[in-house]
Amino acid sequence: MSDDDLRARLRHADPAASVAPPSPDEIARLVETTVTNVPVVRRRRHYALAAAALVLVAAGAGWALTRPATNQPTANQTTANQTAANRTAASEPATDGRDEPRTVRINAAAGIRAKCVEPSAERLAAAADLAFEGTVTRVENAVVTIDVSRVFHGAEADVVQVAQAGETSEQLTGSGRFEQGGRYLVASSEGTVMICGYSGEAGTPGLRDLYGRAFPG
Amino acid sequence: MNVDARRARFEAVAPAVIDAVRRYLARRTDPATADDVLSETLLICWRRLEAMPDEHVLWAYGIARNCLANADRGRRRQARLAARIARLDPPRTVSEPPAGDDGLTDALAGLRPEEAELLRLWAWEDLSPAQIAVVLGVSVNAVNIRLHRARTSLREQLRKRGGAAGHEESTKGRRR
Repeated sequence: MSDDDLRARLRHADPAASVAPPSPDEIARLVETTVTNVPVVRRRRHYALAAAALVLVAAGAGWALTRPATNQPTANQTTANQTAANRTAASEPATDGRDEPRTVRINAAAGIRAKCVEPSAERLAAAADLAFEGTVTRVENAVVTIDVSRVFHGAEADVVQVAQAGETSEQLTGSGRFEQGGRYLVASSEGTVMICGYSGEAGTPGLRDLYGRAFPG
Repeated sequence: MNVDARRARFEAVAPAVIDAVRRYLARRTDPATADDVLSETLLICWRRLEAMPDEHVLWAYGIARNCLANADRGRRRQARLAARIARLDPPRTVSEPPAGDDGLTDALAGLRPEEAELLRLWAWEDLSPAQIAVVLGVSVNAVNIRLHRARTSLREQLRKRGGAAGHEESTKGRRR
């Protein structure tokens, strides 16, 4: 049997001979899933469960925090500050007619290695007590200062400071961490930045859309 | 590279990579593992996009190969696999090998795994020795030598099984 015959016979037994090429929809779905960095969760189910539990807790807390103060943004802010144990400092109360910028301080998420479940607008809306867009003006002593250009949800703030502890690589979508001059969409829950596809570079595909759906209007 | 340019580059290569890697995996593993490994492979391609050479499909084969090896190593095979397939993903008929050439299937199974893999890359992925060398990360010369040996072993296996020769002869016989 010549090499060609052998190859032909092998080809005849190719199990993928009848596998149809991927449809445009399938390609689009796979590309979207990949670039929005949503890893496969099946292999680490226990992490996924833990993450899901955290999200549930966060969602509950977020709801509890925002519910009583729907009509009183200032009160909401105070409640949030008192309740959130890991918020480093109280935000300045929003005083009318002052030039002083209203600053909110939050923490970067701790180094969680769990794989994430796909982000959803519902969860973002339920869990986030603060969601905003802004530009990083300073990264100094592990504190990132973000000039807020738009608040989607939560107390009005002009400046948000994020305590970025150590290496936070691959936690934000996009470049992975806050960088000077970068524009970001950031959500926080109980004073901690929400990762797993909820915060990241403003240009991250799908992220703005997610915010739009979570906080319409 | 900014986000949009990165994404555009990934989108440009994705169809070819997805098609090739899906087939590659369909030839080597069950559908559920194939889905997992495809996602993982794409994720690694995306993260390492800056390192992607022009021969992106060969590069992706190499990544898929490693991911598949990890998946195989990492899983507690029988029970979990059976349970998962039954629950999440009933077997698809498309990835069943065409019925008929049992002799060849057996003969392939009788080879050393490295030899069988070389032959698959050669005949199924339709790669030249130079391309196989890229996927496996070895020299072209080594591929040529090993491929020659693998073909010899396969012929040997087919001969041993007798049915293989019979298979050809009987076809000829019918034609006459």
